[in-house]
Amino acid sequence: MREHAAALAGACTACGACYRACPTVAQVPALADAGAETVMTGIRDLLQDGAGNAAAVTFAAACCRSAQCTGACPEKLDAAFMMRLANLRVRGALGDARVATKDDPGWSARVKAFARLTMTEEEQAKWL
Amino acid sequence: MAVNPDISATFWYGCNMARHGEIVRLATRILAAVGVDAAPAGGPAYCCGSPQEKHARIAAGMAERTVEKFNAAGRDQLITWCPSCHMNMDDFMAPVTEPAFETQHISQLLHARQERLRPLLTQTVTARVLVHAHHGFNGRVPVNKDVPDLLRMIPGVVVVASDMRVPAHMCSSLASIPNGLANAHRATLDAMAAGGADTLVTIFHSCHREAVALEQNHPIRVVNWIHLLAESMGLAYADDYKSWRNAEDPRAAIGPARMDALGEVTYARLLEAELTKKPAA
Repeated sequence: MREHAAALAGACTACGACYRACPTVAQVPALADAGAETVMTGIRDLLQDGAGNAAAVTFAAACCRSAQCTGACPEKLDAAFMMRLANLRVRGALGDARVATKDDPGWSARVKAFARLTMTEEEQAKWL
Repeated sequence: MAVNPDISATFWYGCNMARHGEIVRLATRILAAVGVDAAPAGGPAYCCGSPQEKHARIAAGMAERTVEKFNAAGRDQLITWCPSCHMNMDDFMAPVTEPAFETQHISQLLHARQERLRPLLTQTVTARVLVHAHHGFNGRVPVNKDVPDLLRMIPGVVVVASDMRVPAHMCSSLASIPNGLANAHRATLDAMAAGGADTLVTIFHSCHREAVALEQNHPIRVVNWIHLLAESMGLAYADDYKSWRNAEDPRAAIGPARMDALGEVTYARLLEAELTKKPAA
């Protein structure tokens, strides 16, 4: 993950085209006054194990994988993957979480409970 | 209806589709009808790592185990359902653990075999449908074109033209945006009204399980695209999850036999909050 992140960050010019193409930005009040270049400079820093900046952390945390950024990138980078790595980074995938995220300790048990309601015992034995 | 298969595949239905066993069942029958012998596999034992992705090492271990299990199954293809699983396979899983199979999304496969599917769509389904389309996955797999193409083959179905695209790759990802799901549902309902649609067709499961609750407050029908194909093929099914989610008393809708088998404690601890959740719009 670190290698991919560093490579993408190294190729990114922080021009902000991806940020301007993102349909999520308009729905995040905390990004209302953020400058595209400033945000993406922060994203680049985050991907290189830096602290980034507050707007970059907000943008990375809000990424919901619309992937409109990739088509907008003049460098033809996989900007959606870059943003996904930034999102994982701020959520603490490599430690040092920058935003709080909820765990769902009941996820696995919930999936199996629903399976007991919608699948036969034979299907559960074969499919799960 | 099954024909001699020329593809042996694993149908990787993801984890959360355990809520909709009938979709797994129907998808498998549809695949069989177009020549694909697909063995369903999903749930936590076949995790893509997504539920643990904020713990990279745990997610990586789960993903590695899953690819190894698919390899051991010895089937030629992996047919994906969930866009998160599909993208994780592309981005993180296959680059780390070499897969012994080809991967494609179920919509790609059915679209490629549409001439085998077309003659099986014999039943008229009268519906004017809006496809609930997201931006995110379409860059990898052209679902926003392929699924409407398939639906247009159903006698009686009219697919409303719409530029409506919801942010994210599926609705569960909208949790990262304030009021994201509510905004997405309002945009969807507006697009339905603009196009005169009476039926909302979901593509992904994470969208379906939230969108079904819109039936509580709006005079629309919500179905998954697999449901509509099945209806036109004459395959019977019941969307039990939708019935439970929209029931005044989900316990009663589930019924005493299934509640006894599940257990009251399990229901209260794991399912009740979800099944009594209010619609987002």
